[in-house]
Amino acid sequence: MAIAEVPRFVRADGPDKVTGSGRYAADINLTGQLVAKFRYAGVSHARITKLDTSAASAMPGVFAVLTAADVPDVIYSPVVPDRRLFAKDVVRFEGELVAAVAAVDAATAQAAVDAIVVEYEDLPIVDDLEAAMADGSPLVHQDWESYAVTGDTVQRPNVASFSSIEKGDVDTAMASADHVVTSRYVADGCHALPIEPRAVVAQWEGEKVTIWTSTQVPFDARAGVCETLQMPASKVRVIVPHLGGGFGGKCGFHFEAHVAALAKAARRPVKLVFSRQEEMVAPDRRREGMIVDITSGVKADGTLVARTGWIAIDNGAYTADAAFFPQLAAMHVAGPYAMEAVKVEASLVYTNHQPSGSVRAPTAPQACWALESHTDELAAVVGMDPVEFRRANIVDEGVEGAAGQVYGEIGLRRCLDAAVGASAYGDDLPDDEAVGVAISWWPSFPGPSGAYIKIDSDGSGMIITGAQECGTGSVMTLRMLAAKELGMEPEDFQLVYQDTSAAPYDTGATGSQTLLNNGRAVVEGAREVAAQLRDLAADQLEAAPDDIVLASGKAHVSGSPDKAVSIVELAGIAAEGEMLIGKGSGTPPEYPSVSAMCVGDQGLAGWAGPQFACHAVHVRLDRETGVVRVLDVSAAHDSGTIINPVAAHGQVEGGIMMGVGQALTEGTQYGDDAKQRNTGLLEYKLQTAADAPTIRTEFIEIPDPNAGPYGAKGLAEAPNVPTAAAIANGVAKLVGTPVRQLPMTAERVWMTSEGMSS
Amino acid sequence: MTTSYELDVNGVTYPVTADQGKNLLSVIRENVGLTGTKEGCDDCECGACMVLLDGQPVNSCSYLAVQAQGRQVTTIEGVMEGPEMHALQRNLLEAGGVQCGFCTPGMIMSAKALLERDEHPELDAVRIGLSGNLCRCTGYAKILAAVEATAVELNT
Repeated sequence: MAIAEVPRFVRADGPDKVTGSGRYAADINLTGQLVAKFRYAGVSHARITKLDTSAASAMPGVFAVLTAADVPDVIYSPVVPDRRLFAKDVVRFEGELVAAVAAVDAATAQAAVDAIVVEYEDLPIVDDLEAAMADGSPLVHQDWESYAVTGDTVQRPNVASFSSIEKGDVDTAMASADHVVTSRYVADGCHALPIEPRAVVAQWEGEKVTIWTSTQVPFDARAGVCETLQMPASKVRVIVPHLGGGFGGKCGFHFEAHVAALAKAARRPVKLVFSRQEEMVAPDRRREGMIVDITSGVKADGTLVARTGWIAIDNGAYTADAAFFPQLAAMHVAGPYAMEAVKVEASLVYTNHQPSGSVRAPTAPQACWALESHTDELAAVVGMDPVEFRRANIVDEGVEGAAGQVYGEIGLRRCLDAAVGASAYGDDLPDDEAVGVAISWWPSFPGPSGAYIKIDSDGSGMIITGAQECGTGSVMTLRMLAAKELGMEPEDFQLVYQDTSAAPYDTGATGSQTLLNNGRAVVEGAREVAAQLRDLAADQLEAAPDDIVLASGKAHVSGSPDKAVSIVELAGIAAEGEMLIGKGSGTPPEYPSVSAMCVGDQGLAGWAGPQFACHAVHVRLDRETGVVRVLDVSAAHDSGTIINPVAAHGQVEGGIMMGVGQALTEGTQYGDDAKQRNTGLLEYKLQTAADAPTIRTEFIEIPDPNAGPYGAKGLAEAPNVPTAAAIANGVAKLVGTPVRQLPMTAERVWMTSEGMSS
Repeated sequence: MTTSYELDVNGVTYPVTADQGKNLLSVIRENVGLTGTKEGCDDCECGACMVLLDGQPVNSCSYLAVQAQGRQVTTIEGVMEGPEMHALQRNLLEAGGVQCGFCTPGMIMSAKALLERDEHPELDAVRIGLSGNLCRCTGYAKILAAVEATAVELNT
């Protein structure tokens, strides 16, 4: 692709970000603004027997105190609506909101929060996934059967959503195997942990409210406000200033309605800024804990014939956006392998933990870690090299996958070859070092998305888009697409974005979908403007519009570069009459059909634009302490055409580092009271620059005709999927057996190596 | 208890009236009115609030503002050299070392302090010099590359 030859690309928001002039939500302050503070449940499961806000309301400087009684009684959330803005009667996790306060300053607001009287009657805590699924378990939601679930969602007591993928006769196929291997892997939950804690500012003018918020999904946030406060979309405007990262943690609708309701009641602007601890406890977005049981049958020659899987996923107290998790987890335990028969069942289990929700490739890193660890066990039982075992069993062009999708040209085999080839795999290494290999896949997510493109009288371009930039650079990359279509430079385009009242709908910075979907919209909009420019140039140059070429800031006649008129000149002409304005929304790629039977189908068994990857990770183990160090990572990714190489490499490097953290240090610890024990960065350890491995990345570029612009697929989540799995396979070589818990902390690695159960 | 004092931030003297227990980060953001310095954890762990005190990097979330009297405070807004970006800022952009940008101001302050005390840092020294600044987006690779490029540029 010519577009990949752009030597460097400085992002449009970059200067704001390196000079400190860029404004994030917490940097917004309005005249008369009050401070919001929340009263949290503080207990994991209890009935509210008394709730008295009178003392708080009477305090000087307190302008509003809200509880469930003060807002519309709406039960919300997509697919499985099961929660309210404030707890009503029962609290189901420690971070559930019971009340909210707006006051003149933080100290007054906190004093008012503390003055709210809440009394509870304890209810039994549900925090063990298997016990929760057993007959007779106490229920997290007594009235679960009354919830207005949508689609084909299947529910059971304490199970918010169940899915299965079944293909072929798994019993017969398993019986034909020469070896049957069964494994159990257990992953702890962990956090998205963007460095920016979220902030929300709301201001009413008459019946309209404007909300500045750190969300990844401004249109979802608007929809949530409209649903819970019962307002039309025309009265709600959501603006996102610069967003300080998300990784899924800021997907969905969170606290925008609470702050808007406070501002309305107080008749003043209200601002909420989360502390790090609140950020780790209160949002219904965290990476889900998971139990994975896998059984696979293989022939003596290494042919995989059958697989069964049983997966329990910690939903936490409310379902947020997690109804599709079982199907995605099932796809990842089935994995990118060909086999005769599959039966994988997955349940999203209610507990009294913080709710789970989409964090960068939800369910995939844990499920991939389990599957790929298991795959190395399979290779060992038939005496094959793990890489050779994968080469013998992976899906490829024309091959039917576990759910019955038949793939077109895909790059999985080339990813495996490239990543392993770039690593020290097979080399003689010191006896405390090893290279582990894992492969992975991840879908692209087609969806509706829109943009306007215009060129002003001075020839400067503007992209007005519903897309949301969360740091990845995908919105920044839209300028490259418009520039390519219009024969201009990326720097010729300004961006207007992250304002629901300015631009058409987009799903937001979620599902790696921005470039895939909004990229199509921008290309379509730019092509409308290009057609206008060609018509204008044809008049000026006395040629046919079809013979006009847009390049280097000019329109010229094909084959006659000197017969040209500048786009600036054409823009000046257009400004006097029919202006240069284009619109695009593109046609979303189609979801392919599948042959598997899917109970509880959420539409994610057939993948458009499937992405593939392989990571080969070189690790070193300190046998005395169990500390694992990641020395280097060789990564190869098939995400289709790469539009912006600098940003693409940044996604892979960041995804890998997040995967290293998930592999080794990041895991939520719970007490017997189902409350989190490590809610600060002192106790919940992220990877630092000192831990950063060398990362080599190769992109296997195969343009996908059923995906994004110029054959691009999604990218931002895929690099997070196989890293922990590859590290695990390296560690297992050194320890002699897999470490069956995630994260593979030094303690767990050491205990496993000593033959002790961790 | 409220107290009044003067604070030198980026070479400008600001009169401050604030509670004497108020941290330097809050005084910079709220009293001085410079919001480039960020709060990420209030726990000395993430480094988003890093500023320089007489050239030394300090987590301003955990430093009392009154203690900064008589010292030179440098924030991200004081890094530009007139209208020109500092080489660190430019190299971070050109290397692709900026994504969401929330850690970037603190990262630049730590890197600036590092390069002022060590003109030719080894890669491991850069890693350690930046290990008090958490970045969730980049995996650090392009940030490390930008700091190394800056060391070469400033000292050749």
